[in-house]
Amino acid sequence: MPRAKRRSSLIRSPQFSSLVILIVLLAVFAIADANFLSPLNISNMMAFLPELGIIALGMTLLLTAGEFDLSVGAVFGLAPVVVMLLVQNGGVDIGVALLAGLVLCIAIGAINGLIVTKIGISSFLVTLSMLLVVRGAALYITQGFPLKSWDQPGFFVTLLAGSFSIGTFRFYTSLWWFIGLSLLAVYVLRYAKLGNWISAIGSNRNAAVARGVPADAVKIWLFILTSVLAGLAGMISAFRISAASPVAGTGYELEVIAMVVVGGTALTGGRGTIFGTIVGALMLRSIRNGIVLIGVPGLAYNIFVGVIILAMLILHALLQKNAARS
Amino acid sequence: MEVLRLQNLQKSFGSVRALKSASFTLNEGEVVALLGDNGAGKSTLIKAISGVFPVDRGDIYVRGQKVSIRSTRDAMDLGIETIHQDTSLAPDLSIARNLFLGREPVNLKWLGVFAPLDLAQLRDAASALLKRVGISKKLDADALVSTLSGGERQSIAISRAMQFAAKVIILDEPTNNLGVEETHGVLRFVKEVRDAGHSVLLITHNIHHVFQVADRIIVMRRGEIVAEQTVADTDLLTVESIITGADMSALLKETRAK
Ligand SMILES: Nc1ncnc2c1ncn2[C@@H]1O[C@H](COP(=O)(O)OP(=O)(O)OP(=O)(O)O)[C@@H](O)[C@H]1O
Ligand SMILES: [Mg+2]
Repeated sequence: MPRAKRRSSLIRSPQFSSLVILIVLLAVFAIADANFLSPLNISNMMAFLPELGIIALGMTLLLTAGEFDLSVGAVFGLAPVVVMLLVQNGGVDIGVALLAGLVLCIAIGAINGLIVTKIGISSFLVTLSMLLVVRGAALYITQGFPLKSWDQPGFFVTLLAGSFSIGTFRFYTSLWWFIGLSLLAVYVLRYAKLGNWISAIGSNRNAAVARGVPADAVKIWLFILTSVLAGLAGMISAFRISAASPVAGTGYELEVIAMVVVGGTALTGGRGTIFGTIVGALMLRSIRNGIVLIGVPGLAYNIFVGVIILAMLILHALLQKNAARS
Repeated sequence: MEVLRLQNLQKSFGSVRALKSASFTLNEGEVVALLGDNGAGKSTLIKAISGVFPVDRGDIYVRGQKVSIRSTRDAMDLGIETIHQDTSLAPDLSIARNLFLGREPVNLKWLGVFAPLDLAQLRDAASALLKRVGISKKLDADALVSTLSGGERQSIAISRAMQFAAKVIILDEPTNNLGVEETHGVLRFVKEVRDAGHSVLLITHNIHHVFQVADRIIVMRRGEIVAEQTVADTDLLTVESIITGADMSALLKETRAK
């Protein structure tokens, strides 16, 4: 492709328009409130960002393959609850408890994937049911109460939720997880054979299958991956605040899907962008943070968030139409 | 020499017996045309051979060896390449990525599905391929398939089969939606691969094409093979009458006699 043409297609790409909007938003918030770019506030944003961002990476791959997962918020809540219960009430070693949590997440993802691919029920219905089952399980085994706080530093806590300082900035190790997983996801989706398969499956499943691509297996593994990432994010969050609650992560599924589609990944499959998802995650995070700082009343947050998401989607749709016409 | 032999293939979809019993042999370097009206079971037959779904009963032999084709990958590994009627491309992928879908050239092969694509080879091979099929002047290997016309997509699918030109190439209505030039390209391609020793199974509704390229004709009706003839021994009218089931040549003789 000639360079000029490539550049124009880059500028028209949805992730690019998201990036522009993100920069505009950041500028607006920074001008409206000087504290927005203060080390403390940036550190704060960066503490929350990875937790939803990590789930969004898995969701991007899943959406690109043409499926999605509504049970991630519930898994985010259940995994740490199970791990903490095993440690606090069962006297199980933290490493073993984490392993049990991992197995649980794998099982939830595998069940989602198997029902969707082998029985052929839409992922919307399957994972909606799974959301209820998983959230219900978290509430039942805790009787609805948050667990006692648990604050025993150790290898795993440092690994998932340790913190370090760069100058006046304080970062959590979860940021490294997010960066590392993002790079991996970019690699897989853009440069690896698997990414070619994922996009092809979401774009035209029959065509992919006709070329010998194991579409069902790929989808099942992506469901497992998404569940595991949701569990990982849940553990990071629980370790960071030294507590696990059965209602943690409520509503995260929609926030995560919003991050992904705002970044330019198509809800219908076939077109996914990890870069866009990172932009989307940053955008939603800074919106939530920024509107607090500029003094929007707390109860009005969601109005703003919703309007901005809608505006982004309209923009993507218009760009898409334009591209199709030219 | 026999390349592919089908024996008593049967396939039902619920109560629809799409394939009642099909047996035939495909020889090396031969173009066989598979004819029949809409719903006769042609696509069902070739989908069974190419591993899209398993047959209910019957055997498939490749080079005299009985084989079991359980997946499209099995068929490809046995050297059977198929271009399906409902075009087999992913619109959101580039031409180059579509051409090599499922057979991507990679570096660091030991990484399995995580192996990085060899993007340079992907693009070069794709361009060379497009040139060979005679559509390089218009198409860019990096262009998304969603930006192509129906005929262009068909050409891409055909060049893909050409690329991996195996023992058997199956084309399900390849000239549908194609312009004059592309149609000639396809027919030329069919002759080319035949001359290179490959076998072609060609499904089409255009009997003129059949007489241009096929060596043998097989006619299906309601899930069964009802006739098998060499092209040299028959003519257009006879074939047409076999397809529809009405004995038109007899009718013609009658009217002539009067
Ligand atoms: N997946 C399916 N489920 C149910 N019935 C099917 C399926 N595929 C094909 N059939 C039925 O099997 C019969 C044969 O269909 P097939 O597609 O093989 O016909 P065809 O000879 O390829 O026709 P055409 O020339 O229109 O492509 C038809 O009656 C069709 O409705
Ligand atoms: Mg057909």
